[in-house]
Formats: sequence, structure tokens, C-alpha cells
Amino acid sequence: MSTDTGSSGVKRRDFLKIMGTAGATTAAVGCGIDDPGKLIPYLVHPDQTTPGVSTYYATTCRECAAGCGLIAETRDGRTIKLEGNPAHPVNRGALCARGQAALQGLYNPDRYRAPMIREGDAWRETTWDDALAQLTQRLAAVRGAGAANAVFINQHETGSFPAFLDEWLAAYGIGPHLGYEALGQQAVARAHREAYGVAWPRLRFDRARLVVSFGADFLEDWGVSVPQQLDFADARARVENAPRLVYVGPRRSLTGLNADEWIPAKAGSELEIARLLLGETSTAQAAEASGVSEETLVRLQREVQGAGQSMILAGSTAANAYDLALAATRLNRQLGNVGTTIVPGEGFADDDRAASLADMLDLVRRMDAGQVPLAMVRGANPAHSMPRNARFAEAFAKVPVKIGFSSYPDETMALCDIVLPDHHPLESWGAAVPMPGVVSLQQPAMTAVYGEFDPRFAGSRPTADVLLQVAKADAQVGGRWANVADWRALLFSRLPGGEPAITEALTRGFIRGSLPAAARPAPRAAAAAAPPPAIASTAGDFDLVVYPSPVLGDGRGANKPWLQELPDPVTKVVWSSWVEIHPATAERLGIERGDLVRVTTAAGNVVVPALPYLGVRPDTLAIATGQGHAVYGRALYWEERSGDGARIGVNAMDLVPAAADPRSGAILLTVTRAALERTGDDVQIPTTEGSARQHGRGIARAIVASELGTLRTASGAEQATEIAPTGQSGTTGQPTETAAHAPEPDTTFLPGLRSPTANDAEGIFGNDSSKYQGMYAPDHWSRMADRRWAMTIDLARCTGCSACVTACYAENNIPVVGMPYQATAFPQRDGTPGENILRSREMNWIRLERYFEGGWHGGTDPGDVGNFESRFVPMLCQHCGNAPCEPVCPVYATYHSPDGLNVQVYNRCVGTRYCSNNCPYKVRYFNWFGYGEEARPQYAFKYPLNLQLNPDVNVRGKGVMEKCSFCVQRIREAENRATLEGRELEPDEFTTACAAACPSRAIVFGDAADPRWAVSGLVHDPRSYHVFAELNTFTAVVYLQKVIHPGEGQPSSAPAASGAH
Amino acid sequence: MTKRKKWQVIPGLVALAVLATTLSAYQGASSQQGYAPAQPIAFPHPRHVQDLGMNCLYCHFSADKAPDPGLPAVGTCMGCHTIAGAQLPEVQKLAAYWNARQPIPWERIHKVPDYVQFPHMRHVNAGVTCQQCHGPVQEMDRVYQFSSLNMGWCVDCHVQNQARYDCSTCHY
Repeated sequence: MSTDTGSSGVKRRDFLKIMGTAGATTAAVGCGIDDPGKLIPYLVHPDQTTPGVSTYYATTCRECAAGCGLIAETRDGRTIKLEGNPAHPVNRGALCARGQAALQGLYNPDRYRAPMIREGDAWRETTWDDALAQLTQRLAAVRGAGAANAVFINQHETGSFPAFLDEWLAAYGIGPHLGYEALGQQAVARAHREAYGVAWPRLRFDRARLVVSFGADFLEDWGVSVPQQLDFADARARVENAPRLVYVGPRRSLTGLNADEWIPAKAGSELEIARLLLGETSTAQAAEASGVSEETLVRLQREVQGAGQSMILAGSTAANAYDLALAATRLNRQLGNVGTTIVPGEGFADDDRAASLADMLDLVRRMDAGQVPLAMVRGANPAHSMPRNARFAEAFAKVPVKIGFSSYPDETMALCDIVLPDHHPLESWGAAVPMPGVVSLQQPAMTAVYGEFDPRFAGSRPTADVLLQVAKADAQVGGRWANVADWRALLFSRLPGGEPAITEALTRGFIRGSLPAAARPAPRAAAAAAPPPAIASTAGDFDLVVYPSPVLGDGRGANKPWLQELPDPVTKVVWSSWVEIHPATAERLGIERGDLVRVTTAAGNVVVPALPYLGVRPDTLAIATGQGHAVYGRALYWEERSGDGARIGVNAMDLVPAAADPRSGAILLTVTRAALERTGDDVQIPTTEGSARQHGRGIARAIVASELGTLRTASGAEQATEIAPTGQSGTTGQPTETAAHAPEPDTTFLPGLRSPTANDAEGIFGNDSSKYQGMYAPDHWSRMADRRWAMTIDLARCTGCSACVTACYAENNIPVVGMPYQATAFPQRDGTPGENILRSREMNWIRLERYFEGGWHGGTDPGDVGNFESRFVPMLCQHCGNAPCEPVCPVYATYHSPDGLNVQVYNRCVGTRYCSNNCPYKVRYFNWFGYGEEARPQYAFKYPLNLQLNPDVNVRGKGVMEKCSFCVQRIREAENRATLEGRELEPDEFTTACAAACPSRAIVFGDAADPRWAVSGLVHDPRSYHVFAELNTFTAVVYLQKVIHPGEGQPSSAPAASGAH
Repeated sequence: MTKRKKWQVIPGLVALAVLATTLSAYQGASSQQGYAPAQPIAFPHPRHVQDLGMNCLYCHFSADKAPDPGLPAVGTCMGCHTIAGAQLPEVQKLAAYWNARQPIPWERIHKVPDYVQFPHMRHVNAGVTCQQCHGPVQEMDRVYQFSSLNMGWCVDCHVQNQARYDCSTCHY
């Protein structure tokens, strides 16, 4: 063999090298097996658990003070899913997005893993023994003279803990605690209490023919949203005699978008309109104050008088909110609504017991003056959620001893000296009083994530137990609890019926009865608060509407990736802050979407991207609360790399003057004007929205209520032609944009919903005699073809709240892709929050599309401004009987199952994305990165978030297409259960995650081939239609048209004109 | 060797490797069939099943009612072995785990990939014996993987026994 490198031979040494490598590769590829790992048994098998089978615990949601009942699904010791408790009197089985996301609070990577002690600017982890000793020592130090001035700020909650807390504080000589609610609605609650006797009466929408909301966002944060939404949707779904909703206010909120008419009144002028309806002012005056035409006001007046049963609701954010709420209650009394549509006897918990802004301002004054020797905070974050110019943080910093009891580091905890981390509510015992006469029980759904489930850390402890333990160890105060073992024992002894009754009731989740009410100090009223100056007298060109974010609330939700990634129901923006500005104003000022503007009020300023939105008055700006955290969620979103200043969005509270309502002490949000100034920079606003317009595609269809009769009388084929798309109705005389191109609705889709026969994938072209029958044959032994899984979505019910979206994330292990560190393939730098979504890489299997119809034509006339309609459509895989995605898949990874599912087989998928390109509904989502692989920088389930993953659902790998599966794991589980019990599936025995969560009950899932299932009847509803039926897709998702209730002389749907946004 | 020569040889070898891989996959060599790792405690299935007549479900208690077959808790073992055979060296290893409050880190043998859902109870209740998939465990001094657990092996059985073989039966 030559050694000449120029010869044609391969050197022996090289040959061996190459062969060795190749052989090793072969071995590695061919015989490479994943290490099967270990099997770790229990030491002692726990009671009532079967491996791989879920255990369900009834407990209570603590994400807000409403106190909805939960069913927590726990598998092998980990809580994996939350659903509403169907038996619970508050939420009746529904659960909002924020409730769903409680799981990401439980498994939050930012949670404190041990007690923390501050040393200078740094924090040190410590043991519980040390932390308790420190707490005892600090408490002893303030005993005596100082104790009376010490303060405990607790999150506002109802139930047993506040009462115990006051008792404990009293033992130390400390006054009752403050129940902090950042966006407390005492102005309305107090007016309600004075007029009706309860803070939040039950709203019987089903008895009303007309609902007028003066900025009362009852589908969002006003009152108790989930039961209100259930009642509202039920009333609207009756279609006949459904209540018409009129929304009056400067900004069209989610509730406003659900209204049949929006009257864009100037901020703060709602009271004038209410007074007009009361007959206390003239039309001219009301028109002058509100900027609404006299004609509209007269029509409203006439409508209210002639409506019969009606309901007048008042919002809580305007400067005159208390007067407005009182006016609304007087109006309701005058119209005879109290006791009929407004039922005080079935009301909800007392929100006005929460500490008001006036109380908090008084506390700030005392802390600032150095009068407070000790401050304790649990679960509240006033350093972020109080108006910035109240200077809470500065005053709090002056308190010599500050002790925190929260689960997560936040702006307030960052100022404390010692933090004794609290259990998450899903790990704790407790009881809430969501409505008079109902005690909702809270029990641990799992052991504490930190400390018990993961014993590597000192972990958290329930604050109630910490307080008890400290007190019992102190001879001077502990006497009364000497015989109490722990908080659970104390709690049980105080609940009605005692231990035996409670143990029995725990499976149900609540008991009838009451708790001893916590003694609360009289509201400090406006002692410390100056009444806000009239909005018109403040500086600036625009009225500023600050509204509570329907998703993030006062900011509590901002550390939960699911909620950051959940598009705002109104604007569809994610991972960001924005200021809403009317397109007319934006055009006048030369501002485009994403231009950074500086919004300035007397209280402060923020720089934030502008978002043109049809639903604000041209003289108004609007901005949501909840973002702009400096500390909250840092480890989760930013890893360890970013320096200070890495925030998501801005805090709207920087703009709000610290002005409290003089009567109720409540915080008032819409009290100031603001100046707007361009900075010259611009950013891209992350959004999941493609277009806000349907472009005539007939995706979201609506029908005018008066035309429903034609649907009902028609039958069969006639039906098809009789269903007039909205806008073709005689009320406008003009065809709409939708009507111009919308396909004729028809019922030829029905074959797609029958039980599939031979080659059903060929739709109507298939036939029973085809030789390709295979498994699709109805008599195939698998019997899979007996069923046809289908879904109906009633758009008359859907409010766009998006609870289904978060429920889907929780059920189906959908990765969040907008976290800053996921944005780029280069882990050396953090990206922009939501950058992946800017690149259209969002993964929401079900998304809430929001379309506008009609709208602004270039003027600033309020009649023109308010003249648009919105429609919400939950869009998910339609499980087409004749799916365009299926024939284009080169590897048969997507195909049609005999029971009617469009199945995506992840392990077959090679990622060509042909299916997504061919899908007319755009409901297929691609894994651009290894979101489910821990070693990858884009890993979406950072420990311990991965403990939440549903073991029944595969975590998809990089390069794989995924989409809605109709919760196939639930179908198979139900089939398995039925087979195991030797029976057939019961009708409506189970449902999908989205349908289970829906607080509007808009989604119904089931077997369309079996007439006993609810869905099989609904698909034949006269309002039913298929999206893009003209494409011959034979979808399994059937939509029921929205129903519009136009007012007298109102167009049913705004005519489409050129220039519509 | 020059670069040019290397590019003549490498593609051929890679092709060879791919061919070998493909062939081995078809022969079931990609499975872990025969895998028989040493266990932390040499648990003798024959002694328990054949000599003492214990049923599989005594220890693998949820195989007939749950997707997971169930693995006996250390406490279950100690129920007998606190007294029975306490002097045997392997039982003393067990006692050592128990006394240290440590679970036994058994080596897992049978594992299907994450994208396969295998509900044990459906199979057991359909009359499939444990041995059909796991082999004669009652005779194995050291348990090994008896079947290939490849998809073809699954589907063959499903077709023969008229069980569903639609993809979405197992993959989701």
C-alpha cells in the first residue's frame, strides 16, 4: 500500500477510522434505545390512589375574592387540571381563564423555595426554625406600646382566615388587618348595600328585556363575573325575548363588545345620562355633557321607559362612580326592577369589606410619618398595584420591620426584611364565603410543591399554621390556642357542623351555613383622601380610561405564562402593554400602530405603543392595568441573564392619581386627562390577530332576532335559502360586506355529521360500495364508525372571554412560546417578550377570533364612532369529514379516524407543514423549537411547571405539527372506563376541556350520530352553519349564528363602507 | 488522505450504515428485546409465583383497573418479609431500603415510547394474559424483555384479536 498521499488508495489507518465511525453510528442509530430508566415504588402505598388514575378534590379558587368551586384533578400526587365544580352554587361548573391559570401559580418557578432573610441588598435562604425564631423576636420587639400601630395587610378574601387573623393580631395587641383589593369596587358595592342591602345582588338577565350598562363590565371584573356570565349567556341563548344590551361609556370593553349598541359617552358623563333617565336633567344638558346626540338619548330614554323589565348597571371607575351607582339603583327602583331582575336575596360576597384606597392612603401617611413599627404583608402587592404617586413603596421602606408571607417575590416582598413563604391555595386548608349562606371549602389538592413534594427545599408553610405556631410558643399570647393542634383542626372546629359534617362535605366542596364574620373596622372613608378634581379640570388633551385587565387583573396574573400568552379578549394583544387610541385621532396625529407614545398625567408618565382601536372615543385614551412588573416573574421569563429594567409592558398605575372616592374610599381609575406625545420610536405589538375584518368570508355570522321566525318556519332545503346573512335584513336596506360574498348557508354539510360510511373522506362523492371500505365501513368489527364526534359552538352565547383557550393549554400540554428567552436560537441574549408570536409561531389550538363589522367612516361624530359590531368565533380544528390537510401529508401523519376525528399522529409527522399550508382554517401549529425538550433553550415547561403536564397527552417534539385533537385522550379514557364497567358510553358522559370550562356554555361536544347526545340535536338548530362550507370540508364543528337585537331605528349591522378599519 | 478521497468513501459508508439500520429495524433489532439488567435486589419471580402460588395481581395490583400495572410499595414487600425469609441476604437488602425509608430503584425493563398510550386494564380485561407480552415471568430468575414491543408486534395482535388498530387508539 502506498503511503503517497497523492495516490488513489485510501490509507489503511483512514479506512479503519472511517469504518469505526460508521460502525459506531450504525450501532448508535440502529440499536440506540432510550434508557428505560428506573421504576421507583412507593414506600407505603397511599390510600385512595391507583397509579395512572386521577383523583379529584373539590376545593375553592382563590385567584380572586369570588370563591368559585374547583375540582382539582390530581394524578400520582400532582395536580394537573382545574375545572369548575358543577355542584357549586357560584360557578356551576364553569371556570375562567384566571382560575385555570392557578396551576401556573402553584408550579411557578419563581416561587420562594425557602424562607428568606434580607442581608443588606442581598437575600439569604434560611431554615424554618431560624425564620420562626426571627418572627418571634420581631413580634416580641413591638409588644407593648408599639403594637397598636403595627399593621397586617392581607389579600382581600372572605372566609375563615381573615377572622382568625384578626383574632391573632388582637392577641398581640395589633388592630384588625387590612384586606387589600387593588381595584376594589366599594363605590358600587356601597351604593348597592345602601339600596339593596347586599353588595352584589344576583342579576337575573333572563327576566330582563333591556340591560343598560353604564360602564359596568359584568363579564369581566365587575361584581362576580363567572355566575354573571352564566346567567347572561343563558338569557341571550333563549333567542326569543333575550335581553338587549346597551353599553354606555367612553371605551367599549369586552362587555361593551357583547352589547347590541354602544353609546360612546364622554368619561364621567354617564351620570348625566342616568339622571336624564331619572328625569332629573334635560336632554340638552345630558347631550352637552356626554357628547352623545340628543336623538340617541331620547331613543334610549324611550326604550328604557318602554322596555318592561330592565336592568340598569353602573360601573365603578369613573370619578362620580358612587353617585352613578346610586342613580342606577334609584332608576332600578323606579322601573320596578328590584326583586325581579335584580335579586338582592341571592347576592354575592361583600366586596365593600375590603380595605379601600382611602384606608391604604391613611396607612401610607402613617408609615411615612414613622408611626408604624412593624408591617406584615400576605398575598398583596400594593407596591405595584397602588397608584404610583401614592408613594406606598417609599413609605413602606420607612417601616423598621417588614415581614412578608407571600408565595412569590414581588415588588412588595422585595422591600421586606423576612419572607416566610405561604402555601399556594391549592396546597392549603381554608374556607370562603362566596355568597351568604354558603361556605365553600378549600382543601389541599396536593402536598406542597416545595418542601414536601420536592423535599430538597425548606419550602413553604401555610401562614395560618406559622402564626399559630409562633403564638403557641409564646406564653403571653398562646393560651387560647393551647389545645389546637394546627390550622386544619382550628378551621374544622369553627365550620358549621364541625369535623364529621366537614369531612363528609369535602367531597361536595361546600356546605350551607355561615361563619362568624370577621370584626372589621368602620371604613375610614375619605379621612385621608382628597376627592379627585373634576376630570375636565385636569391637564391634557384626552380623557384617560384606565381599566382592569380582564386577563391579568390588578397584575396578579402577570407571572403566569398562560395568561401572558392569552390574547387580550378585546385587542388580541399578548405579552405587552398598549394604549388604545381611536383611528381618527391616530390619523390626525400621524400615529400608527406600534408607535411609541408618551402618555402623561399629573401623576406620572409611561412610554407605551399606541394601538388604534375602534372602541374608544376620539377624545379618549385607554390603558389596561396588570403589566410593568419589575420583580414578578423574573426567573421564569428572563432567566438569570437580564439586568434591571427588563419588564413586560408598563404599569398603568403610574398614571393614576391617588384619589379616592370621598364617600366609599374606593379607588377611582378614570379621573384624569392625559397628554399624548410621540417619541419617534416604534415597536411591533405582538398579536395573534391576522385581520379584524372578515373580508366577506362569512366566518362569524349573525342574524337579527326579528328574522329568526323565518328560520324556524322553514324546513329542509328551504331552510338553506331562507337563512339571510346579517345585513341583508330590511333594517338597513344595504347589503353588507359580509353579505356580498358570503356563501349561501345551507345544510348540505349534514352528511359530514352522519356516522361515516365507506370512504367518508370523499364526502358526498363517496359511496357504500367502494372497495376501499376498510375500517370506514359501518359494520367493521372495530365499531369505531358508530360514532361521529362533533361540536357545536353557539355564538349567541359566546362572549369572547377566552376561558376555553387557557383550559386547552392546561389540558393539552401546549407550550407557551412568547417567553423572552424563547425568542431566539441564541441563548446568549434575551429577546423581546412575544417575539415568537410576532413571527406567527403561536400555538393556541383553540383561539378566539374577534371580528368587527361596520365601523368608523372617517368622522368623529359619536353616532358614527359607536356604529360597529363585534363578533367572537372560537376557532379550532374543524375535524373536517373531507379534510384538506389529509391528502397532502406525504407520510400519512394526519388522517381521518372512523369515529370522525382528524387525527395528527405526532410520531409519524416529519414536519413538511404541507397540512398547515392547505388548512383553510389555519388551526395547525408547528413546533419550531423543542419547546418540550429540557435541554433546549426554548424549553417551555421549566421545573416545576413540567409537573403540571397531562400524562395522557404526548409532549410534542421539535419539527412536529400539532393541533386540536377534540381531546381524544378524554374520548379514549371515557371509552376505557365504560368498557371496564361493561357498559356503553352514557350520553354527555364527558366533554372536552374547552367545553367544560366555558362560562357561557357556548361549546357542546358529543356524538352527533347518537340522538341521545345533546350535540346531535343542536347541529340541526336553524341557526347552524359551517365555516367555509363552500369548500366541501364537511366539518364536525357546527356554529350557531349570533343573534343581534337592534334597537328601534338601529341598523342591525353597520353597513360596510370604504375606509372601514 | 485528501479531502477528495474522503468524499469518495464517506457517502458510501453512510449509505451502508443507513442500510444496516433499516434492515435491523425490520428485523426488530431496534427493540430492546432480551434486555435483562441486574436489579438492585435479585427478586425471584419463580419463587413467588411457582412455589408460593402468588397471583401477578397481588403485587401488580392495578393491572386490571388502571393504565399502569402498579408496582408493589416497599411496605407491601415488608408485609411478609418482616418475618418471612428475614435472614436471606436479598431480603436483608430489602429491609435495608425499608429501614432507610428509601424506595428500591428497580431497573425498568418494559417501556413503550412517550407517544404510545398503553392501558394495561383494557388488555387484561380482554383476556390477554400477562405472559403473552411479558413472557414466562414466573420462570425468569432475572426478568428480561420477552417481546419486541415494536408497533408491528402490537398491530399483529390487534388484528388477530379484532381489537382496534386505528392510529388514534394508541397515539395521541
